[in-house]
Formats: sequence, C-alpha cells, structure tokens
Amino acid sequence: MSGTAASPKETPAYYPGCSMDGLGKAYEVSCQLVLETLGLPLDRIEEYNCCGATEVKNLSHDVSVALPSRNLALARDMGRQTVVAACNGCVYSLARANDAMEDPATSARINARLSEGGAPTYDGQAEIRHVLEYIRQRAGPRGVRAAVTAPLKGVRVAPYYGCLYSRPKRYTKVGLEPGRDNPENPYFLDELLEACGAEVIHDYPAKTICCGGGHALSDLDVSVAFSASVLNEAKRAGADVVATICPLGQINIENNLDRIRQAYGPEVLLPVAYFTQLMALAFGRSVREARLKLNFSRPDLFFRARGFA
Amino acid sequence: MPIVEKSLVEGLERSESLQVEGIDVSGDWNTFIASRVHTDLDLSIVDWVRGQPQGATIDRCWQCGTCTAGCCMHTDYGLEEFNPRYFIYLAQLGYDKELARYAQTVWRCVSCNKCVERCPKGVKVEEVVHSIGTYLELTGTAPKSPADRFDEAYTRNLLARGILDEAGLFQTFEAGEGRTLPTGEKLRMGLRLLLTGRLHTGPLAKRTRGWGRLRPVLERMLSEDLARRRQDLPARLPPKGGP
Repeated sequence: MSGTAASPKETPAYYPGCSMDGLGKAYEVSCQLVLETLGLPLDRIEEYNCCGATEVKNLSHDVSVALPSRNLALARDMGRQTVVAACNGCVYSLARANDAMEDPATSARINARLSEGGAPTYDGQAEIRHVLEYIRQRAGPRGVRAAVTAPLKGVRVAPYYGCLYSRPKRYTKVGLEPGRDNPENPYFLDELLEACGAEVIHDYPAKTICCGGGHALSDLDVSVAFSASVLNEAKRAGADVVATICPLGQINIENNLDRIRQAYGPEVLLPVAYFTQLMALAFGRSVREARLKLNFSRPDLFFRARGFA
Repeated sequence: MPIVEKSLVEGLERSESLQVEGIDVSGDWNTFIASRVHTDLDLSIVDWVRGQPQGATIDRCWQCGTCTAGCCMHTDYGLEEFNPRYFIYLAQLGYDKELARYAQTVWRCVSCNKCVERCPKGVKVEEVVHSIGTYLELTGTAPKSPADRFDEAYTRNLLARGILDEAGLFQTFEAGEGRTLPTGEKLRMGLRLLLTGRLHTGPLAKRTRGWGRLRPVLERMLSEDLARRRQDLPARLPPKGGP
C-alpha cells in the first residue's frame, strides 16, 4: 500500500455487511454500546453491498474483487482511509480485494466495470481493520479497564478468534505493520477480556481453528465437527463461556447446538457470546441491553445466575 | 512416482517376515511399493490452473507440505486423504488419473486460509486447490459438489439485490439438494430469527440503492468468467455439462 497512514484521529468508516444488519443483530447492538462507552465513533457506510465472503471467488475472480471494491470506494468517497468491519469474512474479502487492486491492470479492469455500473471507482488506498483491532488500538486494555464498572470476576472465558480474523496476513497485513495483532497467536481479544476482569483461557487447541461455517449447509458433518470441537476444547480448558468475534462463527456454532448435543452429548455445550456482549456487561450494561437472550446458547441464563442484572 | 504419504500409496506390500534371496529383511525393510511406470501424464491441468487468476501461484509450490501439516481438514477433521500438497503435486505432474481418485475429496476445503497464511512460497493454496477442484468438475472427472452448488446459489442470491437474503438462500439451496424444509427445533430457530428482526426475506428483503445499474454489469462479468474458464479447457477434453 502506497498512501500515507490514516490519521489516528480519523473517524473510520464502518462496513456492517449483511450479518451485522441481520443474523448478527446482537453483535451490532452490543458493538455500538461498547464503542459509545469508549468514545470510539464509526461512520456507517450507507448503501453498502454484501462482500461476497469466500463463495463468489470460486466462480469469478473479478466479481469477487469488484464487490468489496465498491464498498471500499464508498468509504473513500466519505473521505475515510480506515474501514472497520466486525465480521471475519468481511475483513478477509475486503482485504483480499485490496490486495488484488494493487495490480494496476486488475485495478483498471475492475474500476472500468464499476464505472459502467454507476458505482464509484476505488483508488486502493483504504486500510481494513477488524473492530477488535480497532478497539484494541484506540482504547487499549487501559481504556477498557477504565470503563469497567461490573468486572466479569470469576468468569472463565475462552477467546475464540476463528479463521479469517488475521489470516492470511498477505491480505490483512496483520503482523506486518506496527500495532497490529499476531497472525499466528492473536492476543488482542485475550487482553480486552482480561481488562474486563474475566479469567481468560489463553491456550486451548481450538482458539484459531475454523468453525466450518463456510460449509454449514454443504458439508454438515464438517461444520458440526468443528463447532463441537470449539466448545469441547474450551470446556476441557475449563471455560464457562466462549467469546466470539465473528457473526458467521457465532451463528454456525449456535445453529449446530442440537446436532452437537445429539452427537457428543449435552456435556459438550457451553454458552457462546460475542465479545462485545461481554464487554457491554462489564461496562455496566444489563443482560437485556447486551442482547444476550438473542443467543441460542443462552448466555443470559449463565450471567443472570452469576448475579448480572 | 509422486512423493506420497505411506498411507496413500496403492499397491503397498507389507510382510511380517520377509526373505529376499535367503536373507531375512523383515523389520525396517519389510515394506515395498510395487513398481510402476507412468507414461500418460498430461500437463493440461497445470496449464489451466496457472491460467486462472485464482490458480496463478501454483508454480511456486516446492512441496514442503506446510499447508497439509496445518490443514484443518487433514489434521483437525482427520480426513487423511485431504492433502493439498499432494493435490498440487499431482496437478504439477499432470497425473490426473491419480487426482481423479480424490474427486470426492478436493471440494471439502472450508477456506480457513491457514495454508495461505503459512505458505513460505506465497502460494495461494486455498484458491489453487479450489481451481484444481473446478478443473476436475469442468472436465467431468468430479461431479458438481454441494459446495459448488452452494457457491452458485450464494452468488446468484447476492447479485439479485446486493444484500444477501439468508433465508432465501437457505430455501433455494436446501430445495436444490432435495432436502425438506426444517421442522421441530430448526423451525423454531428460524421463526425466532424472523420475529426478532434478524431475517429480512421475501418482501422484507434488503436491497442496495442503485443496484439495478450495477447488477447487469456484474452478471455479465460472471457469465464471461464462467464461459472463459470453459474455453480455456484443453481441446481434446470437450467441456461436459451445461453452459
């Protein structure tokens, strides 16, 4: 990437993607609560389109680059350099398009098509951040600790990063720039949850494995096995709750709960919640405000039993 | 002879007590591979994969196996025959007869991208493996997989309005697979998602403003790409299946 680094004071553009406005509603609501408390504004990209995730690229490289490029172009038209997304799939496909658009021939070809369809063209100058990285970079564990009024004391949380949060670094630049997370051993979520007063399980084998969500419908065995593995390994490591950072992962695990129960027994099951729901609780928001009841794995019951209002 | 994990070798002979010319060679020397010579290698596949934007990095592979060592399908799911290093090697050799044995396996990559992250040579392994799978499918070596059908249903659904309609996608895909719509717990989940404003489908489906102008351009790009990858196939392998 050639351009200058984004100003540290810039309000980044926010790319919600389909999930945050739909299946990931609890993530969206709790994310806004957390960002508001921390004084970290984001400006929503209106009239965005779906990023194409990992599916479109298997049919057409150019369409898979054009879809995210349109969103990045909208952010650039808003005058923003940093684009924040909350979904690992979105981070991946936006960053992948960024990488492809570094090639002048590709950039010319894609931009010609975008123009033809009345969409803005993309200059290739956006920087992509997962919302987890954004919170960690701007507020840091110290800023988070200062906002905590109801620490998650004695709650053992397994941070689950899933697959596409940081990898591949050739797209996301995670680990290649100062102040970014570690692509092999990510720790930003560990730090933020610790700052919330939780007892964080730093090492368990499923921390960065795939949830199988990409094949949730086309290869059920695999998606159930991976979802079960996340819960099982977290439980074996002593977790009370699993914290997720991706709507696809959260939804895939929760969609498989009944199958996991049948295949592996109820003792494998654990409540699963978006990390922002847990942070909102720690910031003194109620179980209701954090929308914990929307989760099918019912973390609301767990936290109420632990005395959270 | 491709480099192969022992467990993948066909024609492996093991003997607990083996004597060669009167000498006992059992123990460390009890395994032999039946001799074979391949003369029907065909480089069309690697030429095709290299020509696709998704497969362009295939030549960089130096067969270290880092991709396979970390592959979640190979290691975590335990599908031993899911071996991206081997798929790439067979494609590089043009040994498509051996590759055909994995026709039901290649499509199962879940795109976690650990291989792309770790490849020391910058091979986009995940996309290269998908390209190999596409070649097998386009040449009729592999049937169209559920993942291929899902990618298509997903892409069509997205291109219709710019925003994915998950419930619509679920219905289209499940119906296409000949599965019945959910009952019991799954139906209750669906209804709850609908009632809590988490599914926007049917008349509630979301749409990107201005999409009407971009949609035909993207659909043309898609059909051009789908046509081009068929045109690129070697002439002596007539493309099978529909357009």
